[in-house]
Amino acid sequence: MKKILATLALVVLVAGAAMAQDELSFERKQAIDSLALEKVRDLSKYIKIVGSKETAWSEANRVIDRAEELFMSNAEIGVSSIASNKIKYYKVRPYFEHLMRLNYDRVEIEWYNIEYVSDLQRQPDGTYVGVITIFQTFRGYDKEGNLAYKDTTKKDITVYVKRKETQIGGRMIGFWDVMLGDMRVKETANK
Amino acid sequence: MLLLLAAFITIGGNTSCKSKKRLAKEAAEAEYKARVAEAVRDLTAILDDETTWTLEEKEHRVQTIKDWNLQNAEVDDLLFQVEKKLSRERAQAAQRAEEERRAAEEAARAQQPKNVLERNLASIASASSTTQANRLINETLQLFANNNVPVLIIITQAGGFNDYDKPTTIENYLNYVKDQKVNRNKVNDLKFNDAGKITEVELIKR
Repeated sequence: MKKILATLALVVLVAGAAMAQDELSFERKQAIDSLALEKVRDLSKYIKIVGSKETAWSEANRVIDRAEELFMSNAEIGVSSIASNKIKYYKVRPYFEHLMRLNYDRVEIEWYNIEYVSDLQRQPDGTYVGVITIFQTFRGYDKEGNLAYKDTTKKDITVYVKRKETQIGGRMIGFWDVMLGDMRVKETANK
Repeated sequence: MLLLLAAFITIGGNTSCKSKKRLAKEAAEAEYKARVAEAVRDLTAILDDETTWTLEEKEHRVQTIKDWNLQNAEVDDLLFQVEKKLSRERAQAAQRAEEERRAAEEAARAQQPKNVLERNLASIASASSTTQANRLINETLQLFANNNVPVLIIITQAGGFNDYDKPTTIENYLNYVKDQKVNRNKVNDLKFNDAGKITEVELIKR
């Protein structure tokens, strides 16, 4: 019995030491926190570019390719309207295509208050998962330049950060891969 | 009486002339000995690296000693050894100068595209139109071996190693700077091929 207890204690100690080794220093954790926030800010710029009626079709498509790379496959983006209680979820490319086709003469999209609502937490598989919330104001104008529609939506984006390796120039490079998951609508208001 | 005086003057004059010659000879011998001693001292000091002279100063000193034409076995032997030593030093100095010239050339070659790249990244970020940004992107791509040259971005250097963002390509990165209208990273390191084109970029967060 004593032997079993001693073995268990050893296993717990070894596992504890291994977990401690996996813990990131404050500086590195801060760097990946910032990196994930930066990716969300990058996405906001891509949404703005694709939503703009002044963006050329070829440019918009190139930007959609870049935006798609930010997301995990099968990720969904929620779209709401003050005219309806229903929230429609699109895959990433269809979401951007929908955005391009919006029936307004001019569109303004702004994201603000981009911050973590749930800090990145290490999962058993080594992936860090967190939730970032954003506020989006949408304004659509008609041909006469009148404001035809506006809303403000609060959305939560799940972010996944995982350490990966790739070979470049004959050497292994360790990098942090930030992937965005679903973007869920939390609230929509007419303001 | 007059004869006696004449004889005395003649004998006395001869003696004075001989004394002057002896004195001159002694002075010349003393000067020669002093020069030999000086030559031995300076040549030995050069051989033993006990001078603070530059190579040019040493060479000038050796030439002066050679011009004295002392015809002294010890000095000649030292001159032979010193000339051999200075010849080696000259060769080493020439090699060092060549290495320094190459290093300076290499640094200048690396610095030039780095500065151009830094400047172009800033210009792309602040371009007033997509057309202008695209023109700058095409111009910048000429610095690279191809459009798929990898771009690594260091996000932190904690704990003695680098943490990177997901690697991208130079074409995508330049477009990223255009899209985001911000130049967040500075150039940390560049790698080149034999044609002087950039084959890898390492950026670091500002």
